[in-house]
Amino acid sequence: MRPSLSFCKNLLAERWRHGMLRIFRKREKRSGGGLAAAKGRFVLSVTIPLLLYESLGIFVLAWAFILMFYNYSSGRLGGPILGLGGSNPFVGIQNFIQMIKGTSVQANLFRTSLKNTLIFAFAVLPLNLVITLPLAYLLESIGERFKVLYRTIYFMPVLTSSVGVALIWMSMYDPQGGWINAIIRFFGGQPVAWLSDPRAGFLGISVAMWAVILAYLWQDYGYNMVIFIAALQAIPQGLKDAALIDGATPWKVFTKITIQLIRPTLLFVCVMTMLSSFQVFDIIQVMTNGDPGNRTQVLMLDIYKNAFRYQRLGWAAAESFVLFLIVMVVTLIQMRLLRTEWEY
Amino acid sequence: MKSKVLYTLITMVVVALVLSACGGNAPASVNEPTAAQGSEATQAPVEEAVTLRMWTHSNSAFNAGYEKLISAYEAEHTNVDIQLETFDYELYLQTLQTAMPAGEEADILQLFGTWTSQYYERLAPLPESVMSLADAQSTFYAAPIGGFEVNGTLYGLPQEFNCEYGGVLVNKTLFEKAGLAFPPQWKTMDDVLADAKKLVEVDSSGMMTVAGFHFTAADPASFSFLAGIKQRGGDYWNADQTGFTFNTPEAKAQLQWMVDAVQMGVVDPVVFNDSTNFVIDAFFQGTVGIGYIGTWAIAEGQANFPDFQDEWDYIYLPPIQGDPVFVADSGWGLTVSPNSQHQDVAWDFVKFVTTDPANATLFNIDSGTIPAIPVVAKSSEIASTMPWVAKALDTLPYGQYLGNMPDRDLVVYEIIYPHLLNAMQGVETVDEALQAIDTEANSTFE
Repeated sequence: MRPSLSFCKNLLAERWRHGMLRIFRKREKRSGGGLAAAKGRFVLSVTIPLLLYESLGIFVLAWAFILMFYNYSSGRLGGPILGLGGSNPFVGIQNFIQMIKGTSVQANLFRTSLKNTLIFAFAVLPLNLVITLPLAYLLESIGERFKVLYRTIYFMPVLTSSVGVALIWMSMYDPQGGWINAIIRFFGGQPVAWLSDPRAGFLGISVAMWAVILAYLWQDYGYNMVIFIAALQAIPQGLKDAALIDGATPWKVFTKITIQLIRPTLLFVCVMTMLSSFQVFDIIQVMTNGDPGNRTQVLMLDIYKNAFRYQRLGWAAAESFVLFLIVMVVTLIQMRLLRTEWEY
Repeated sequence: MKSKVLYTLITMVVVALVLSACGGNAPASVNEPTAAQGSEATQAPVEEAVTLRMWTHSNSAFNAGYEKLISAYEAEHTNVDIQLETFDYELYLQTLQTAMPAGEEADILQLFGTWTSQYYERLAPLPESVMSLADAQSTFYAAPIGGFEVNGTLYGLPQEFNCEYGGVLVNKTLFEKAGLAFPPQWKTMDDVLADAKKLVEVDSSGMMTVAGFHFTAADPASFSFLAGIKQRGGDYWNADQTGFTFNTPEAKAQLQWMVDAVQMGVVDPVVFNDSTNFVIDAFFQGTVGIGYIGTWAIAEGQANFPDFQDEWDYIYLPPIQGDPVFVADSGWGLTVSPNSQHQDVAWDFVKFVTTDPANATLFNIDSGTIPAIPVVAKSSEIASTMPWVAKALDTLPYGQYLGNMPDRDLVVYEIIYPHLLNAMQGVETVDEALQAIDTEANSTFE
């Protein structure tokens, strides 16, 4: 009796199923297990590169930490282990003592740089807030179409490279051909060597430092403004309306409701602005390189020069550690002052 | 079980990483020229295929010269392949500093001679068989070879005389506009200042628009200050070169002369200095009558300002008094890594490039640099291509090496120049500036 066509089809299907199962099992056997094993392999394949990456990061941090206790220069051979010791001697905390009371040129420059960094950071933060918060409030109150346009315009400098920004401002500050002096001359004023006159100052701060601060603010303010706009949009309109119905003036609404409700954002903006101000480097390096007479020499620039120009890696590492401590302390203070214990 | 395997693997990875980080630090041979090294250098380059890497800083004029010399050497030594790798100046410094401790630097390294005292522990000493110290001193000018010698050992050979003293760019168009004779026939520095005063232009607001004598950039100010001390019979080194002596009558006289020149009105150091209106930029834009700068600026100025129409020349200033004694850096030259597997071939190439008069001439013409070898400097080829070198021939023999400072850049750019500029800008008195230079410069020995 000949098997029917459907029987043959079923038989073939059954054999194919068995065959495929055998292939899968063989593959599974070859690859060493089931789903759990595959998961294990995945974990390993992800963990090992991550560990490698983390180890590198830790190694770099550890290396910087070790270096600050040495008078280390990469140009010197030093001892047999990582070049430490020998002609790169261990100096303990001498680098830090030098920073406080040393009379050497690098100690003087460190103190000058620290002072300039503090001036820069503590001038930039309030000025930035004074510009960005009202601007964000203003933009929040205009029509959607203009809001997008102005937000784009104000954010553009943030996207521009610092070197480009520095070059633009340098041309504007040019003592002979810059348009700022051209305007001053037009009104019969005395032109100023904005970036190169060590004698010129305002409020006890050199004009060159103010000039750099202005350029930095121009580049940076769009970033905070966008963050403030987002925070302002998140405030429930009902709260403001209720206050207005209760007779609050717009100023009171701004100070008593808006400012209070955006405190977490304010904290974030303050911390981030302070962090970036303490670490300012590129715009100053291009515009003044610390001149005139070290009046714009900031810590990051000093660290860079010591590490890569004068090969004082030990000293540069110690300076970096001091900068880290300062930034950490300032951030903790800000967090303490601006923290909120409520949500809305 | 699985977690044990995982932990074991992780531990192995971390240990391997730490071990690899700790290794590869010390060069194969350091500072002690061994007999093996010496004998290797005397042998003719082996015929096996040799690939050498060579690092230089990016400078199109320099690299054009290097490429021709590499091709010429490779043509003579068909088994040798020299790969030139160039870096932007700042990046080159950083690369050297990171590659050297790791032992990953190239076989042949371009080095500024004055840096040798900072890097010599990581450089291969020049084998006697390639060139002895005495031979080198008789072959090259004193200033260029001086920097490559540390504690009586040579670590490289120079390719240029880095002379920052005495040479000025002069703008003929501005001279004629001011009714001055051109070329100027200066006998004394007072003649220079008199001409400079007439070249100055000031706008209606009182701002200087054309500087008569721009000598207030870092190198001109510093090197004319040091030369002035020497020419007045003083020295900025103590007797055994273990400390500086900047607070001396000679130094005071020289700095006072510089301050007086500024007060005479030949230049406004607030508007014309190293960072604002630098000499090359200002001169090739027609805002400087006499611009104090080394010859290296000529090639750069011509390349950066091709549209500059004014006629100009490069001439030498008279000394402040007595002989034109001056100090100079040891300029760019070539060194060899102690980690190179083919030091003999590398040194052979360095010798080929730096000591062969024809090759040295080729490099100096291409790079626009003053030759480090007197014979080359006096050659007719150099005289016809770079006429300003011929004008310097009487001055060059007076050049002395700057001296091995603990950190030359720190002393010159962060100590001497800022205080000189402060004095010229009226921020410090002459006495305050000299006192500060003396104290801070001596602190670099600590």
